[in-house]
Amino acid sequence: MMRNLERLKSWEGLLLAILVVVVVINVVQSPVYLSVENQVNLFQLFIERIIVALAMTFIIINGEIDLSVASVMGLASCLLAFLHEQGVPLPTAILVTLAVGVIVGAFNGFWISVVGLPSLAVTLAGLIGYRGVARILVEDRSIGNFPEWFNRLGQQPLLGPLPLASIIFFVLLVAAVIVLQYSAFGRYVFVIGNNREVARYSGVKVRQMKMTLFIASSTIATLAWLLLAARLGAVRGSTAEGFELDIITMVLLGGVSIFGGTGTLTGVGLSILLILNLRNGMSLVNITSNTQTGVIGVLLILSVLLPNWGQAVRNLRNRRRRVGQGQTAGE
Amino acid sequence: MTTNSNKPVLEIRGIAKRFDTTQALDDVSLDIFSGEIHALLGENGAGKSTLIKIMTGVHQPDRGEIVLDGRPIRIGNAVEAQAHGIAAIYQEPMIFPDLTVAENIFISHRDQGAILGWSKMYHDAAAILSKLDVHLDVRQPARGLTLAAQQAVEIAKAISLKVRVLIMDEPTASLSAHEVTQLFKLAATLREQGVAILFISHRMEEVFEIADRVTVLRDGKKISSAPRAEVTPESAIRDMVGRKVEEFFAKSQAQRGDRLLSTRGLGKAGVFSDISFDVYRGEVLGFAGLVGSRRTDVGLALFGVEPADAGEITFDGKPVKLHSADRALQIGIAYATEDRRALGLAMPMSIAANISLPMLREYLSRLGLIKRAAEESAAERFRERLAIRAPSVRVEVARLSGGNQQKVMLSKWLNARPQLLVLDEPTRGIDVSAKAEVHHMINDLAAQGLGIILISSDLPELLAMSDRILVMREGRQMGIFTREEATQEKVLTAAMGQNRGTGEMQ
Amino acid sequence: MMDAIKRYLRPEQIRELSLVFLIIVTLIFFGTQIEGYYSGRTFNRITTTVAIIAVVAVGETLVILTRNYDLSVGSIVGFTAYFVGTQLANNNGISPLAAVLMAIGLGAVMGLINGVLVAYGRVPSIIVTLGTLAIYRALLVNYSGAKTVTTDSLPQWLLDLARVNLFSVGAFDIRPMVALALLIVVIFQLVITYLPFGRRLYAIGSNPEAARVAGFPTQRIVMTAYVLCGSLSGLAGFMFLARFGNITVVAAQGMELSAIAAVVVGGVNVFGGSGTMIGALLGALMINTLEQSLIRWLQISEFWRDALLGLLILVAVATDAVIINRLRNLWARSGLQARPATETPGVQAQEEAGHDA
Repeated sequence: MMRNLERLKSWEGLLLAILVVVVVINVVQSPVYLSVENQVNLFQLFIERIIVALAMTFIIINGEIDLSVASVMGLASCLLAFLHEQGVPLPTAILVTLAVGVIVGAFNGFWISVVGLPSLAVTLAGLIGYRGVARILVEDRSIGNFPEWFNRLGQQPLLGPLPLASIIFFVLLVAAVIVLQYSAFGRYVFVIGNNREVARYSGVKVRQMKMTLFIASSTIATLAWLLLAARLGAVRGSTAEGFELDIITMVLLGGVSIFGGTGTLTGVGLSILLILNLRNGMSLVNITSNTQTGVIGVLLILSVLLPNWGQAVRNLRNRRRRVGQGQTAGE
Repeated sequence: MTTNSNKPVLEIRGIAKRFDTTQALDDVSLDIFSGEIHALLGENGAGKSTLIKIMTGVHQPDRGEIVLDGRPIRIGNAVEAQAHGIAAIYQEPMIFPDLTVAENIFISHRDQGAILGWSKMYHDAAAILSKLDVHLDVRQPARGLTLAAQQAVEIAKAISLKVRVLIMDEPTASLSAHEVTQLFKLAATLREQGVAILFISHRMEEVFEIADRVTVLRDGKKISSAPRAEVTPESAIRDMVGRKVEEFFAKSQAQRGDRLLSTRGLGKAGVFSDISFDVYRGEVLGFAGLVGSRRTDVGLALFGVEPADAGEITFDGKPVKLHSADRALQIGIAYATEDRRALGLAMPMSIAANISLPMLREYLSRLGLIKRAAEESAAERFRERLAIRAPSVRVEVARLSGGNQQKVMLSKWLNARPQLLVLDEPTRGIDVSAKAEVHHMINDLAAQGLGIILISSDLPELLAMSDRILVMREGRQMGIFTREEATQEKVLTAAMGQNRGTGEMQ
Repeated sequence: MMDAIKRYLRPEQIRELSLVFLIIVTLIFFGTQIEGYYSGRTFNRITTTVAIIAVVAVGETLVILTRNYDLSVGSIVGFTAYFVGTQLANNNGISPLAAVLMAIGLGAVMGLINGVLVAYGRVPSIIVTLGTLAIYRALLVNYSGAKTVTTDSLPQWLLDLARVNLFSVGAFDIRPMVALALLIVVIFQLVITYLPFGRRLYAIGSNPEAARVAGFPTQRIVMTAYVLCGSLSGLAGFMFLARFGNITVVAAQGMELSAIAAVVVGGVNVFGGSGTMIGALLGALMINTLEQSLIRWLQISEFWRDALLGLLILVAVATDAVIINRLRNLWARSGLQARPATETPGVQAQEEAGHDA
C-alpha cells in the first residue's frame, strides 16, 4: 500500500497545487470569488454530477465502467416529468422513478454480472437506449409546472446556505468515505478491482458485488436527477446529455485507475473542486461552456496519459538500476 | 535409426543462467543433430524451461554461446530465433482464433507480397499439412481447434518458415493417447525431412518410443547424454532423481486422528475422474504427479472454486456439496494456490488486508466497519509466528520477497482456521531457508490436528513431508503409497505410467 | 447436409445471411402494412442516410477489429462538414477534388491524434476518444463562432451530389453519394481481405499477445487504423455537408452511436478479431430500414430512434456472446479435428460425430 499511497499522495499533491493556482487566478479576476454565495452557487451548478461521481468512483475502482449514468439521469427526470404531466401525484411519481432507477441498474447488472458481457458494451447500449426512452416520454417538449414545494426544494437554501442537493451530497460523501475506506464492502471493491480471481479464491461473492454496484449507481443517478428537475424547474429530453464525460473525468482525474484497484475519495474530491473552479474561472474570463467541455476532454486524456508516462519512466529507471546491480530480471 | 555422426546443426556450449538465488543452468552443453529427435528429461525445476527460453531468445545466457552451423549466433528475441530457423511449440500454442488455419500458418511471413493470394495460400497450407499427413480444413478459422490440431498448425507454421531446429516443450501433456500417436507420426515425418527436434516430455514411455538420444538435466546441470539404446527407463529416472532426501526437513510421525475428509468417485468431465481418498486429522496426504496430472484441479474441486460434477465428498462425517469458496471456508476447507500472483494475493494491498480477506466478517464492528486494530494485530501475530520479514503489516505485499509473500499467503489461509488445508506447491520459487520454515509449519499444523493435502512437484519434499502419497496421472488416480513403501523411483514410475502403486485404499 | 453447410459457411457468414433475411422480412412486412412503401422516395431516404453512416461504420470497423473503439467520429464528421462548408461558402471556386481532399485530410489529422494517444500513449481507447469527442466538438464551436453554414451559400455541384441521379434501376435512383459509399465498402472489404495490413488488424484483435510475439508492428497498425477511421469520417463529413447543406455546430452529434450500433448489429465482434465491412453495411441498412419504416407505420415519432438503437446493440452483443459462440463451438467440435489423411473425410466425420455424442 505504501508505494501506491506515495504515488497517490504525489498525484493528490499535484491536484492540490493546480487547484491553488486556479483559485488564486480566479480571486484576482473577481474579488467576490471566494464568497460563500459564489462557492455554493458553483457547487450547486454541478451538484448532480458530483453526486453521481461518487458512485462512479466505486464502479471504476471495481474495474468496470458505467457509461449509461447520464442517460439514466435523463430518463429519471423525464419519467418524473411525464408522470407529473399525466396527473400522477408528485410523491408517487418520485417513488416510481426511484424504483425504475433500481430496475435499470439491475438490468445493467444482469448483463454484466450474470451473462458476463463487458460493462463497456452494456452501458454503451444503455447510454443510447435509456436516452431514447427519455425522448419517447417527453419528445421535444419542455415539461415544467412542478408544485411549488418541489421547486423550492431544489432552489432554496435549506440548512444555512445549503440547498437540499448539497445536503444530500454531504451525507452521501460521508457514507461513501466510510463504506469505501472502512467497510468490508469497500475492501471487496478494491480487491475485485485489483484481481477478480484473488477475490473469488478468497470467498468474495464477485457477481453479487457487481450487481450491487450497478444498482447503486443507477439509483444514485436517478436520485441526482430528481434533484436536477427540482433545481431547473423544467425538464427536456436532452437533459444531462454528455454528462458522463464530466463524471468520468472527475473520477479519473482524481487518480482512480481506469484499470481498477486504486483510488481514493480524497483524490476524487480534489479533482471535483479543481474542475469546478477551473470551469468557473473560465466562465469569469468569458470562455464558453463548450470550450470548457473541450478542456475537460483534455484533462481526461492527460489524467491517464501522465500516470502512464510516469510508470514508463519508473520502469526504465528500475531496469537501469537492476542492471546496475548486476541482477537479471526474472521470476 | 537416423542418428548421424556428422556435424551438429546446433551446439549449445557451456550455457549458464542465474535467477536471483537459483542457478537455473550451470555449464550446460548440448549437441543437436539434424534428422534426430533429442529428448530432454528432468524433474520440474531441472532447467529445461530456462534452456528453451534461451534458445528462443526469451532469456539471454549469463555465460556460454549458441553455435549454428559452426557460427556463434545471438538470439535476441523470438523473431530472431525464427530467422535462424529455431522454433518452439508449447503445450498451449499461440494461435489467432479468428484467422483461418492457412492464415495462422502464413501470417508471420514477411514476404507475402502486396496482395494476399488466398488460393495460393490455401494451396500451400494444404500442401504443407498433407506433407505432414495432417488432414485439416485450411479454410476454417482456428477457433476451437483441439490442442492437437493447434500444435499441428504451429508445426506447419514452423515448416513454412523453414525450421531447422524444432523445440517441442511438453507437447503431449494435454493430448489424448490417439492424438499423441498422431503427433509422433508428425515428429517422425519431420525427422525424415532432416529437422532436428528437441523433445521435452515427462512421460518415460513416450521418450523411449520416439527419441534417438536422451539427455538428463538435474538442478541446472547436465547429468547424462547418450543414444537411446544405451539408456533404460530405470537409469534415466535414477539420473533425474539423484538428489538427497536428507536436505529436507522430515515430518515427525504425528498421531493419526479421526477421518476428516473422504471422497468417493470424485470426477469432473474431461478433467479428472474416479478420485477416491481419505484424509485424517494430523495427517499430511501428498499429491504427486507430473504436468497435466490434474492434481490442482482436484484441489480446486475440494475448495469449491471449480466444483466437481460427480462423486461424493464427506467432511467430518457429514456429506457436503462444495460449490463456492465461501461455502468451503465456512465448513473449514482452505486452499493455498500455487499461483500467488494471479490467484493468491492482492499485490498492491497491505499484508494485513490480505491476511484478513477470507475472514473479513470476523473483523467487523457492530456498525459493519472494519476493525483495523484487530485486523492488524492478527496480522502482526502471523508476522511474528511465521517470521515474515517486513517493516510493518501495512506494507504492500508486492514489495516482499517471494518467500515472504508465500508466508503471507499461508497466514491468510491459516487465519481462516481451516480443518483441512490444501497446499498447492507451497515451496515453489522460494529460497532454501524459507522452504525449511514452511516445512516446519506444515509439521506444526499437522501436530495440531489439521488435515493437510500437500500438492508438490518436488518429489523429495513430498517424500519427506507426507504420511501417504497419492499419485495421479492424466486425471486418474494411480494409487496411494504409504510412507514406508514410497520411494522416488516408485512414485515417479507410477506418475509416468510405468506401473501402478499398491493402491492401498481405505 | 449439415456437413456441407458447415464446410462452406462460417457462423459469422450465417449471421450476415440472417441479417439479409431479416432485412427482407422487414421490407416484405412493411410492404403489406404501408401503402406505397416500395417507392423511390422510401428507397432514397433510406439509402442516402445509410450512405453516410456506412462510410463512418467502415472506419469504425477498422478500429473495432483491433479491439479498440472510436467515439470521436461524430465530432470529426461535424467538424469537417462545418469546416469544408465554410470554405466552400466563402469561395465557391474551390474544386471538388480539393474540397474532398480537405475533408479527408482534416479527418486524418484528427484520427492521427487519437491513434497516437491510443497506440503510443497506451491510454485506453474509450478514454482517448471520449476526450477527443468533446475536444473536437469544442474546437468546432469555437471555430464557428456559433454561425451556421447555409445551403444557398454552397456551390451547386456539391448539392447535386445528394440530389441528381447517377443512374436508375427501375424506379430506384442511385445517387452519386450512395455509389461512393458502396465503393468505399467494397474497397475496404478488399483491403481487410487481401492486404497483409488488413489481416493483421484481425490478428491483433484476435490475440494481441500472439501478435506481439509474432513480431507485428502492433502500435503502428493500430495507429493506422485510427488514421483511416478519421479519414473516412472526414469523407463522411463531406457527404453530410452535401446531403444537408445547412450545417450547425451540433451537426452529426451522436453519429458515433449510430455508427457503433451499425457495426455491432452487423456482427463485428466488440472484442475485435472478427467482422466484415459488408456486415457493417448490412447493420446500417437494417437499423435505418427498421427506423424509417416504424416511423411511417406507427406514426411514432423519431424519438424512438435511440431507444431502438440501444436495444439493437444490446441484443446484438448478447447474441454474439451466447448464440454465435455456441455455433462456433459446434462448428469447431464437429468439423475441425486433425485427422489422418488416409481415412476418407466422410467416414471420419461420422466417427467423430459418434465420439461427440
